Amino acid sequence: MTFKQLSILCLLCGTAFAGGCAGLGVRPWQRDVLAREDMRLDANPLDAAIDDHMYFSKEASSGGRSFAGGGCGCN
Amino acid sequence: MAASCALLGAAAARGQDAKTAPAGSGLLDDWSVDSALAYYHENGRIQAIEPVVAVAKIFADGQSLNSNATFDSLSGSSPNGALTSHLAQTFASPSGKAKHGYTTAPGQLPVDPHYQDTRLAVDGNWTLPLTRVDQLSVGGKLSDEHDFFSATVNASIAHDFNEKNTTLSLGIYDEYDSLQPIGGAPVPGSDYALFEKTGHKKKNGAGVLLGLTQVMSRNWLSEFNLSVDRFQGYLNDPYKITSIIDSAGNTTGYEYESRPDRRTRKSAYWENRVAWSRQASAALSLRYMSDDWGVRSDTALLHLHWSLGGGERYIEPSFRWYRQTAADFYTPFIFNTQAPSTRYEASDSRLGAFHALTYGVKYAWKMPGPGGRESELSVRAEYYQQTFDERMPTPAALQGLDLYPGLKAVLVQVGWRF
Repeated sequence: MTFKQLSILCLLCGTAFAGGCAGLGVRPWQRDVLAREDMRLDANPLDAAIDDHMYFSKEASSGGRSFAGGGCGCN
Repeated sequence: MAASCALLGAAAARGQDAKTAPAGSGLLDDWSVDSALAYYHENGRIQAIEPVVAVAKIFADGQSLNSNATFDSLSGSSPNGALTSHLAQTFASPSGKAKHGYTTAPGQLPVDPHYQDTRLAVDGNWTLPLTRVDQLSVGGKLSDEHDFFSATVNASIAHDFNEKNTTLSLGIYDEYDSLQPIGGAPVPGSDYALFEKTGHKKKNGAGVLLGLTQVMSRNWLSEFNLSVDRFQGYLNDPYKITSIIDSAGNTTGYEYESRPDRRTRKSAYWENRVAWSRQASAALSLRYMSDDWGVRSDTALLHLHWSLGGGERYIEPSFRWYRQTAADFYTPFIFNTQAPSTRYEASDSRLGAFHALTYGVKYAWKMPGPGGRESELSVRAEYYQQTFDERMPTPAALQGLDLYPGLKAVLVQVGWRF
């Protein structure tokens, strides 16, 4: 799948989320599970930063979850 | 030169409420502290120690401040890019000083045994609500090594709608890097023996990230990100060389790598978090990345979470699978009939085709912390292994040598937050 195809897929899903799927989601009093620490998208930011640093140093890819950054000239 | 991973958190509402400010008294009133000490060790190569401290404060009006300081100390042996040979190979140090020259034994991967570097990085982020459903975040990062300096600024805006079940965010960043390689920056593609080096070099980059977070159900959260960034300037690794060989496979010389001076990367990222019981949840993220150097990569990361002892402890096994294709100009060696090369070339194994697996586990438990607060102590370990997928036909003189040794590494980390 090319980046273009993937982008179109994501945009379609995004449009569906934003417009046609207002039924998705929960009421404010139903956020008990989502409020759990392990359900946070940034549940372990330092673990993620340390891992990302390792992968950035050893692989040709970085970013995605957040900004990639260029770092030093070694990659 | 240590990799300065400028991963900048694009703070956004992300369909979730902010963490509650901790209660307590004293100097760290209302501040949350997250700290870790990581030890990284590669099989026969680099080792690193990395302490990290992050502090955050959430104000009553919804504003929040985050700051992070990271220190890296790296030492060991770093591959210089040259090919393993049946003969001993002698190399000059990057500085050209004779006392730092080194010789690689027959059959061994050429590595610079004097590799040493330290890095200090600090970053900060300020998030403020603009309206009940909009928030702005601005931040910056500075990273300094003896041969590299990087400064980055970023800003993002997030909008909640659908009763805060949907969050749309847009972030941008701009980065300025200055390189001061030891001995100077090599002229790309130049003969290693001629030691053609110039002074300082620069590169600049900018990127944009579009994010969408959606609460799918009471126990399912999903996030989509699309990002594009572009870098230009001196994008070479100034310490990497490529072996030049004759048709029989004997090394006849070396030249410095030569990469394009522009690179554009695009990535798509999808993460799902699902809780399937009161004690357990899973996080699965998928990423596809491509760039105009010809690299395509796929990444899948799975984190499982189990609470134990009524939430007093938890364990998190993780598994990551990664695969990348080679850059168009990647080559483990150059034939002397092609040298000096006028085209782009790099033997840096990080630009080759390989796959990598990571197995990890984390164990954490709650305990009393400063000021009567609850704190969390954790230990984490990971094992990382890279394996090459594509190998070029090998000339006779290189037969029997491991030209694609791959990489094995372990990471051990302790953490404390309160």
